[in-house]
Amino acid sequence: MPDFSPEDNKLTLKVVFYGPALSGKTTNLMQLHTLLNPERKGELMVLETRDDRTLFFDMLPIGLRGTSGLDLRLKLYTVPGQVQHDSTRKAVLSRADGVVFVADSQLNQQDNNAIAFGNLEENLEKVGLDIDTLPMAVQFNKRDLPHVVAEDELQGWWADTPWAPLIMASALKGEGVIRTFRTLLDRLYTVVDDEFHLAADHGINRRQFVERLSRSSDSEVPGAEF
Amino acid sequence: MLNFEDDPTLTQLLNDEQLARLNHSLSALCQAPITLTESHPGGDATPVEFNLETVGWLSGGKDQQERAAAAGLVSFLMMFIGKYRLAANLHHDTTEASYAELQRQNDALRESEARYRELSDQLQQKVDEQVGVIRQTQQELYESARLRSVGQLAAGVAHEINNPIGFISSNLRVARDYVKEMQAMLPDTEDNRELATDFNDLLNESIDGAGRIADIVADLKTFSSIDQADYTRCNINALLTSAIHLVQTEYDHGLHIMEQLNDLPEISGHPSRLSQTFFNLLDNAAQAIRSPDKPQDNGRILVKTLEQNGSVQVIIQDNGCGIADSHRPRVFDAFYTSRPVGSGTGLGLTVAQDTVRAHGGQLQLHSREGTGTRVLLTLPIN
Ligand SMILES: Nc1nc2c(ncn2[C@@H]2O[C@H](COP(=O)(O)OP(=O)(O)O)[C@@H](O)[C@H]2O)c(=O)[nH]1
Ligand SMILES: [Mg+2]
Repeated sequence: MPDFSPEDNKLTLKVVFYGPALSGKTTNLMQLHTLLNPERKGELMVLETRDDRTLFFDMLPIGLRGTSGLDLRLKLYTVPGQVQHDSTRKAVLSRADGVVFVADSQLNQQDNNAIAFGNLEENLEKVGLDIDTLPMAVQFNKRDLPHVVAEDELQGWWADTPWAPLIMASALKGEGVIRTFRTLLDRLYTVVDDEFHLAADHGINRRQFVERLSRSSDSEVPGAEF
Repeated sequence: MLNFEDDPTLTQLLNDEQLARLNHSLSALCQAPITLTESHPGGDATPVEFNLETVGWLSGGKDQQERAAAAGLVSFLMMFIGKYRLAANLHHDTTEASYAELQRQNDALRESEARYRELSDQLQQKVDEQVGVIRQTQQELYESARLRSVGQLAAGVAHEINNPIGFISSNLRVARDYVKEMQAMLPDTEDNRELATDFNDLLNESIDGAGRIADIVADLKTFSSIDQADYTRCNINALLTSAIHLVQTEYDHGLHIMEQLNDLPEISGHPSRLSQTFFNLLDNAAQAIRSPDKPQDNGRILVKTLEQNGSVQVIIQDNGCGIADSHRPRVFDAFYTSRPVGSGTGLGLTVAQDTVRAHGGQLQLHSREGTGTRVLLTLPIN
């Protein structure tokens, strides 16, 4: 749930990158840190890793200001994917406003994707969130690798879910990362505007919300894909 | 509630000592002393940003440029302190959550353990009840088997005795007639007259005795009722009379039994079980009035029957020793007896109780120690 403090007119939203271990969640966040050029961008905090694997989480804060002076912030988190870190995943997931599910496209990773998705459903329920109403984007990462499930097939399987269409990505190459993020921002806006009247009270409409938070550094025109 | 992700303030990131040390080091680097404070110190100050948050202000220094450089350095430091804070807070949160979860599981476990214990208690109780039922049934089976065998024996004996006692009786009568005839043929002397009279008396006594044997045989037949189907129409007064005769036989006809048997309709019942019940109750009463602390000749037993409110009532009352209060609740327990060992199994009242219940009736017992006992049987008519 969004954290709004009226005295500083500050609204903090939380987006969590979820998925199986090694699917590329941290890579997504690092790419966003590199590629994004939002109005305000904090440090990427990579909370330490052992053998390159996330032990706690990673966090990247970004933000913008509304015409009302609203201090709108987005904190992007990743969770550790390994099974044994479930309590950390739960703690990070609690009070999330949106989720990006990063799946691994490789043929031999489909079971892990399913297990992680099941774990997400379970943990959302435990922290009191409803997967059917929570804004979420689903990304299939590592499209650059040779043995991946065909996109047609994936899109077919997910066609009847609220998360279609899936976003294909190669986080390593920086492809599809911003598109995934924008999909999430778009779905997030609907929910946040409902509650906080971003357009009416703070002069932030949907297009502005998405573009100002996902402006990329190497594009002159806001909103253009990298 | 504080969350691990809440933005930390300067005092949460650095304690006073650490802050003093930082200020000291920064001042040493700069040309003029420089101070980091959490709130705006007034005057010229440069904000220190950390994760979009202004965590403090730098004042002093030679100029704005120097302050900006120092602010950059402090931000850089903050990132590592902040990371550590985040990790530590998260660890704290997850540990607490895990502990709470463990606690919850522990509670749930405890609860289910209690439930299982309760269940097991209930099961045990059921098992005990069933064991009781089995024991009871076994007892009844044993009792009815015993009754049947006693009844069979009695019926057999009765049948065997019936014939000889029949011809003994009739032969004795014929013999008595012969004695009369022989007397007429003999010379009428004093000796002969005496002999004939004596002979006649002997035969009369024998006829009497044979008659009594025949009565006992008849009672035995009623009592065992072996030739009757399980439930038939029963004449309660007749059954009681037989039982009284049998008890009298057992006590050498020395019991003072008063009978007040009123006219009763026949009821449907199991004659041998009812007879056994009456016998047991009379036997109890007989033992009660014969107990050593009661003078024997005072003891009386009242047997009374009457019809009332659609049922037959049988009262067997004695003025014997009574049942001690402490014994009363156990009176109906199988195998329980307050009498000296060897004088009965104690089953009498239990069997009586069961029999009466099986007939849809009731057995009520009133007793006072030293005063006597009154047993009231109520048996429904039909
Ligand atoms: N080939 C390829 N490798 C990737 C891609 N994204 C991430 N990886 C690699 O997968 C491994 C795990 O990535 P990481 O971001 O740490 O995964 P996380 O456990 O989900 O945070 C790293 O070696 C990444 O370089 C991708 O799009 N393509
Ligand atoms: Mg990671």
